[in-house]
Amino acid sequence: MAAEDLPSEFDVVILGTGLTESVAAAAFSRVGQRVLHVDRRSYYAGNWASFTFSGLLTWIQQHHEEPLPEEAQDWSSLLEEGEELIHLSHSDCASIRNLQVFCFTSEEDEEEEAPNTTEEETGGAAEDSECADSTEEETKETGEEEEEVREEEEVREEEQTTPSAALRQSEPTKKKISYAQLLKEGRRFNIDLVSKLMYSRGSLVDLLIKSNVSRYAEFKNVTRILTYRDRQVEQVPCSRADVFASRQLSVVEKRKLMRFLTSCVEETEEQRAYNGRPYLEFLRDRQLGDNLQHFLLHSIAMVTEDTPTEEGLASTRHFLRCLGRYGNTPFLFPVYGLGEIPQCFCRMCAVFGGIYCLRHSVDGVVVDRDSNRCKAVIDSRGQRITCSHFVVEEGYVAADRKRVATPTRFLSRAVLITDGSILPSDSDQQVSMVTVPPIAAGCPAVKMVELCSSTMTCMPGTYLVHLTCQSVGSAYEDLSPVVTRMFRTPESHDQETCPSVLWCLYFNMTDGSGLEAEGHNLPSNVYVCSGPDGDLGHELAIRQAESIFQKILPEEDFCPPAPNPEDIIYDGDNTSSSAGGEEEKEENDGVAEEEKQEEEKEMLEEEKEMLEEEKEMLEEEKEMLEEEKEVLEEQNLQTEE
Amino acid sequence: KSGRELGTFCFQDTGVGKSSIVCRFVQDHFDHNISPTIGASFLTKTVPCGHELHKFLIWDTAGQERFHSLAPMYYRGSAAAVIVYDITKLDSFQTLKKWVKELKEHGPEDIVVAIAGNKNDLGDIREVPMKEAKEFAESIAAIFIETSARNAVNVEELFQKISKQIPPLENPEVDSNDSFKLTRQPAPSARRCC
Repeated sequence: MAAEDLPSEFDVVILGTGLTESVAAAAFSRVGQRVLHVDRRSYYAGNWASFTFSGLLTWIQQHHEEPLPEEAQDWSSLLEEGEELIHLSHSDCASIRNLQVFCFTSEEDEEEEAPNTTEEETGGAAEDSECADSTEEETKETGEEEEEVREEEEVREEEQTTPSAALRQSEPTKKKISYAQLLKEGRRFNIDLVSKLMYSRGSLVDLLIKSNVSRYAEFKNVTRILTYRDRQVEQVPCSRADVFASRQLSVVEKRKLMRFLTSCVEETEEQRAYNGRPYLEFLRDRQLGDNLQHFLLHSIAMVTEDTPTEEGLASTRHFLRCLGRYGNTPFLFPVYGLGEIPQCFCRMCAVFGGIYCLRHSVDGVVVDRDSNRCKAVIDSRGQRITCSHFVVEEGYVAADRKRVATPTRFLSRAVLITDGSILPSDSDQQVSMVTVPPIAAGCPAVKMVELCSSTMTCMPGTYLVHLTCQSVGSAYEDLSPVVTRMFRTPESHDQETCPSVLWCLYFNMTDGSGLEAEGHNLPSNVYVCSGPDGDLGHELAIRQAESIFQKILPEEDFCPPAPNPEDIIYDGDNTSSSAGGEEEKEENDGVAEEEKQEEEKEMLEEEKEMLEEEKEMLEEEKEMLEEEKEVLEEQNLQTEE
Repeated sequence: KSGRELGTFCFQDTGVGKSSIVCRFVQDHFDHNISPTIGASFLTKTVPCGHELHKFLIWDTAGQERFHSLAPMYYRGSAAAVIVYDITKLDSFQTLKKWVKELKEHGPEDIVVAIAGNKNDLGDIREVPMKEAKEFAESIAAIFIETSARNAVNVEELFQKISKQIPPLENPEVDSNDSFKLTRQPAPSARRCC
């Protein structure tokens, strides 16, 4: 299969299949550039990838192994007069560090037969379990994490034996999913290395729609926004409907919140007066009360206490703009995980003729000394491939080409597999965005995303929880205090109602937004894509891909819509199956007309639905006003008395 | 009859006639000069089956399999996979086995696998005995059929066989899923957010 040689000439060679590189690949291929897209790894998407459970274990293993000493191959025979070679790095260990893995569930299935929410999945495996000890909490460790932590764990494990047995008795109907089951159902997991959400009016969603790449993926709404406050998880009312339905807010608070959000939409003189001063101050002066202030600062603007007002208002507006496009929250999540998105763009690139080769790298860049431009690359098999431009993921750039030797900023990440939702509700299939303000001074604010099994990222009966923050210390230091407070682990105390952590992983990843500014010492036709950043959205990656595209092809459209495959006519005799880039409009007038009518019909129906919704809301509002009136009247009476 | 979409993909080395099988099935014609990359991402064809209408969405792997770099997203939600080999090329039958392995590792567990020996019209230069291929297919519980996209032999039958093996709808977990596609006309933004 791979015996074939690669063609030896391309317009653009792209190394790395992360989001930025993949979007660039699709954009170039779409406008007719010859693209070669390679990745040293055996999987797509690099640090943006999603893994099955066993795939993740392999990834962990790889990052524990000592990187092989980099032996630069001698490719001098492939160079011509006046050329030199810039070697690229082979190991990507630099971008990931401090991996720690903990398993808090038993290794094998336990013997007790109990009614279970995931009976279907457990049925088969339960029979062949033998050695399980149903009273002891087994702390199994998968990896080679640091020695000290292991020791700590073992001590705790013993301390934990009795209370955990007691816990189990108090909850006889729920059987913990074992490690063996996680492995067995491992294919149902799609565990993202990066945790982000898609803003429904963000640049990624716009690009997916504009380019028609959206047809390759499906999405789900994030169904609720939660926040952690006073040791409790609460739902944040953000849409009009939520505000009305909210039980935590008083009638007066509801009015205040609605007024505030309405007033935010337009910039006012009053707001400008706060420019440069903290958003928190602005909120305080609006006399909203603690509840609303918390929601607005941490969950809606998602900023910190010292963020300036103009920035806080801008994120509040972005949040509000994104509401209601698809659902009750501003966010979408791709079914099967975020790792699908780079693959979708790669697919678009391939459809327009891009060539794909995994497990294949570029060893070096051939540079013309006079012009200081890249003329060709030498691939890992010693083939010289001519190209006009070379796009490369940051991780492949050797340290001696970086202006700053070590990345200055890291993200802290934790991935948990849990056995219940952090805020149980009528439906067990919620997708939740959870904001966790700093739990103590100097601690980072944590963004948490809880995914249910219908997102196809975890097995039924479990939830996949992603935590992300800017690093202060190691991922474990930054995030385990939050995990211990919000979930049940051997380290947590009296949290019987919290979901249990079955398995978890901590690691640090380089923050791409820090790298962007630093720059590299490379030829002008070599373009570096920084890896994932810590923002919730995808703005950085899309902006970077577009800017690389525009530097190379300033006249061309960035990702114009691909034709609808159903509109491409295969004509038997004169092979017009060349539908490559052209939209074959003429032949499809009839089809297009029909489609148009259908679209219009759909739109009308949607509008009707919306109007009905609006009506309902107005009615609710009326009710609320009446309620408010009553309250006010009561107050009046009281004051009169 | 209720319609039901079946994700299907069809793959094999270049030049064994994968695209021509798809073309024959969808358009009922055989194109001698199909370019390896047709610029389409999928084709559709509807087949009646019992009380259901099966709408095959046939993904084009767009040549990504050429250097064994097929993205796992192709497998998502796929109901069936057709692996095509060329009966006149023993090599193509060997690579087929690699694809089966890949599929077992990464594909959905309940995927219906069909093995199609194409170019059945070139029987006189056959390199892969039908018996061997059939036995292999049986060993992995796959559908087996020899086809000729050129002469329209067994192409329709191939997809009908697949259709029959698709288990009837009874997976609420997947089908009550409220996931959706993003479309060009997002809901008008007239709705006031707050």
